[in-house]
Amino acid sequence: MPFLSHGSYRIRYELDGPADAPAFVLVNGLTQYSELWAAYREALLARGFRVATFDLLGQGASDKPTLFISQDDQVTALHLLIGELGDGPIFLSGISFGGLIALRYAIEHGEHIAGLVPMSCFAELSPQLLLIGNALRTGLILGGTGYLQDLLLPMNLSDQWLKPLLDKLDSVKRQGWLVNDVYALQNLMESFLDFQPLTPRLSAISVPTMILNGEFDFLTPRHLHETLRVEIPNSALVIIPKAYHAFTLEKGALTADLLARFADDVLAGRWQGNQAVWVAPDEPGGELAPFPAGYDHLRAIPVRRTQP
Amino acid sequence: MSGFLGPLDPGGRVPPRQQTLVAAFLISAHGALARQFAFTLPLKLDAAWQTELNAQFYRETEIVSLLMRATSWVPDIALAQMVASWETAWLPTPIEGIADRPLAQAVHLATLAHAVHAGIRPAALLPVDSNAQDPFVMALRRIEFESGRLLQAQILFLKGAELAPYRDAVSATLEKRHTGVRKLWRETLESIGIDLPRSE
Repeated sequence: MPFLSHGSYRIRYELDGPADAPAFVLVNGLTQYSELWAAYREALLARGFRVATFDLLGQGASDKPTLFISQDDQVTALHLLIGELGDGPIFLSGISFGGLIALRYAIEHGEHIAGLVPMSCFAELSPQLLLIGNALRTGLILGGTGYLQDLLLPMNLSDQWLKPLLDKLDSVKRQGWLVNDVYALQNLMESFLDFQPLTPRLSAISVPTMILNGEFDFLTPRHLHETLRVEIPNSALVIIPKAYHAFTLEKGALTADLLARFADDVLAGRWQGNQAVWVAPDEPGGELAPFPAGYDHLRAIPVRRTQP
Repeated sequence: MSGFLGPLDPGGRVPPRQQTLVAAFLISAHGALARQFAFTLPLKLDAAWQTELNAQFYRETEIVSLLMRATSWVPDIALAQMVASWETAWLPTPIEGIADRPLAQAVHLATLAHAVHAGIRPAALLPVDSNAQDPFVMALRRIEFESGRLLQAQILFLKGAELAPYRDAVSATLEKRHTGVRKLWRETLESIGIDLPRSE
């Protein structure tokens, strides 16, 4: 198991694929660990990419700083990993908290990447997200990692995914419970106590950017992704049908396919963000459809868009 | 070497020698915290925050009492030497960067308690097929759960405004405490065939 060093801390990472291939770097969300990208690794390697994953400081097999974990340190850890990848094109993607770290990286070190894919992401804490985050933190404090998982699972995954697992949820949660410690998760959540919105800085992201948002994402709903679409010049918003916040777990094949197609388009010079809004297909390989003209993609019912 | 307790007996119970070593370590650590909280606890509380000292003292005492009763004890000649090394490790050590002695003592106690409550996860040693109705299994789960709650007082104090000027000293002391406590815990577990990932 290889490690990077950041000061006295060690960051566990995995790197597979040919050194001269374009690379994907995938960044975990809260409570996640590197192995959860296994299906992506396999799919992207088969499509000719190199794949790098790592455990954020405070999670998985990376060191868990005891008292404070700053988001700056996470960006530095990501920078160290990207530094290992050489000069080939690098595509950066992250989910939720990992998406936020990816956004910050793209703002601060955009010259090192060829494309960006924030997934289930946000650039600011809306009142709802702030209060939900506070409630999740209180849940962690009072009920431990298992209770936090109990809150996150139904919030972030569909009935279709949960139903066959209802009588074995303990085994679904076990690995995440084993590798995550209460104090380290709490430190990660408390790294938001001095969070400053990224919105004013998003326009600094000049690389092609595909924003992925689940149709039914409750935790980070559409309008939080809309901020990214409006502020990042060369971006497009892609809505994943019937998907919730953790669609990277639930729709791995579709998401990996979208990642690969995005990178292929960018490398071939075909990508045109145009701040467009698209609807992803239900299955890998299907066609993306433009969001119906004249309708408001921020609404859950078909309402015609009002012109500003 | 395994990452978990066992092999379990047919009733899903942890082998008595493993119970003995794990319980002895936890009693030593939580017992030391109980004693140190007892010395810190005034007879008459004169500040609201001191109610937490009272809670911490009784929760630590409860953990010791629980383990005394829930463990299937067996004699172990290696234990005397191990207990001596553990008890020495819980003693206060000078904290560089904090000259105020009462404050340094408070930081010592909080960092030791943080390291024990956060760094020791006894329930994570239980295999999936351990018997949930067994008192030792239940005790380990309860101790880990209670530790997560007890930890909050240490987090609030160590991250609080009073220690903000000493942030580097506090962080360094805490990291050192975690390293020391985890090393002892790992060595204890290695002596009963359990291999934890090395983080120190």
